[in-house]
Amino acid sequence: MNGRADARQRWPFWIAVAVLVVGLAVTGVLTWISAREYHHNETRLIELRAHDVAGALTSALPSIQTPLASAAALADATDGNVAKFKAFIAPYVGLPTRPFVSVSLWRVSGPAQGLVAVAGVPPALPTSGVDVSAFMRRAAASRTLSLIGLLSGPSPRLGEAYTGMSNGPFAAYGEGALPPSRYEPPQKNAAFNDLNYALYLGRSTKRADLLIASVRRLPLPGQHAIVRVPFGDTYFTVTVAARGSLAGSLPQRLPWLIAIVGSLLTLAATALTARLIERRLATERLAGELEATAEENRRLYAEQRGIAQTLQHALLPASLPQLPGLQIGARYAAGAEGVDIGGDWYDLIELGDGRLLLVVGDVSGKGLSAATAMAALRFAIHAYSAQGDDPSAFLPKLSRLVNVQEDHHLATVLCAVVDAKSRRLSITNAGHLPPLMISDHNSEYLETPVGLPVGIEPDASYASVTVAVPAGATFLAFTDGLVERRGESIEAGLERLRSRVAANHASLDQLLTGVLHDLREDAPDDTAVAGIRWLS
Amino acid sequence: MAELGKGNTRLSFDLSEDHDGAPLVKLGGELDMSTAPELESALSPTLAAKPARLVIEASELQFADSSAIALLVRWANVIPKVEIREPPDLLRRVIARMGLSERLEVRP
Repeated sequence: MNGRADARQRWPFWIAVAVLVVGLAVTGVLTWISAREYHHNETRLIELRAHDVAGALTSALPSIQTPLASAAALADATDGNVAKFKAFIAPYVGLPTRPFVSVSLWRVSGPAQGLVAVAGVPPALPTSGVDVSAFMRRAAASRTLSLIGLLSGPSPRLGEAYTGMSNGPFAAYGEGALPPSRYEPPQKNAAFNDLNYALYLGRSTKRADLLIASVRRLPLPGQHAIVRVPFGDTYFTVTVAARGSLAGSLPQRLPWLIAIVGSLLTLAATALTARLIERRLATERLAGELEATAEENRRLYAEQRGIAQTLQHALLPASLPQLPGLQIGARYAAGAEGVDIGGDWYDLIELGDGRLLLVVGDVSGKGLSAATAMAALRFAIHAYSAQGDDPSAFLPKLSRLVNVQEDHHLATVLCAVVDAKSRRLSITNAGHLPPLMISDHNSEYLETPVGLPVGIEPDASYASVTVAVPAGATFLAFTDGLVERRGESIEAGLERLRSRVAANHASLDQLLTGVLHDLREDAPDDTAVAGIRWLS
Repeated sequence: MAELGKGNTRLSFDLSEDHDGAPLVKLGGELDMSTAPELESALSPTLAAKPARLVIEASELQFADSSAIALLVRWANVIPKVEIREPPDLLRRVIARMGLSERLEVRP
């Protein structure tokens, strides 16, 4: 596992951080792209508008050029008739709506060169640096409008001169007024009222060359375009800038909208991701706790089951007695499931003089109280036997140790006293299942009188029955775990055991192991089984 | 019908009255070391009234072990007359095998 995977395990919220970073990055890129598109679009639009402005200026040229050219041509034709000149030019001079404040007629060739007549106010003309006569001659020779330049002063003007097409001796010279501060506020409903502009004479945008502007402070604010327009023998330079967004308010606000909406979506996605991660962590934590609890339960179950089995085996005989002429064997098998200690037991007690007491018993119920009752009964039988009691004598006394009314347990006990020398057997049964006698090719239950189970009646009486043992026979006593199955009568289980061992010639050990294995495969109950085989 | 028992072991019982007012318990399913204590606690209010007679209708019983027998014996010890009615063969056999035929009154 590499370091990055470790980090993911340590801090699972990295996904939320990744969502935040990626979301903000995408938002940033989209914002930048839309802003750039908007900027490009505005640039393109402002250039288009600048060319519109240039077109409008170009179309304004004839309104200046034509009256001057006509006046010069009229003077040529009338040899400088002043009255006719003044009459012709009067409609173009004077009022603010007219192109000129001053138009004058000049003779540029022949003997009497100079100013001939003036309409409107006297021409301002440059006071220095310009040879007026030379300008007028040059203007008369030119086929285009000639501009003398910007005439500064309290009322600045633009001076222009033109001659007629006849190449005659006269030139007409006009001066147009400019606003004193060069500032002219934009007019409402005009064609270009969405633009700010500044108009310069010539090719530069120097303040000294400014003719007129729609703002007081230059340069123009914001994005602007510059176009140069040929005008007569010089140029106008026009800078224009949008007063707002040319494309409209939505494209202008789109980058901001994208930035805001994108950021909000990113934050929401981050919060949602973090929430989902929290839930997943909570689920995993819960699953882990459940698994830990289940594991702990499994461990406790195994531990308790181990303790129960250890205790059970401790309460059973550690070793079996050996008697000449007899094979002796016993088994205990715990129930298939559960942690409760059982109440089944077996015992084999040497009585001396070649005699042996075999006991198989079953305390009803399970758990520590059943096991305690079982231990008490087992050791009491040892004690009573040691003082010489036979089963019919000690079985009633056992009801002093176990009382079904008080401790809810009763016990079934089967006792068999074996005399090794005589091949005889005395059976006493306190409510227990009958023992099985297996001889050559035959096995049968020894149906002897059955007394009350232990724990019911301290005055109960028990009859012992003595039976003869066939040569080589095997005696088998067991608890109900070996034969009991749910849904069937106990008789069916007894018959299953009998037929299983009917023709069994195996050793006693093999017989005990075999029946436990074959008959208890689905039995949940404890089972104790003990057997004696006569070797002759 | 009430249900008792955990896991695979299930006991159902139904408490009513016989014609003379004696408590009548109908048992079905399995009465064993896990369900017998539960049946005993369920019936303890009834038995605390010290009825003179208790009728156990056992025809639907499918299993009974020594714990079941121990419970019946204890009831038989404190109630003057405990009548086990229509016991299935398996219960009858267990009672006989445990030497309790004379102790527990079984009616066909």
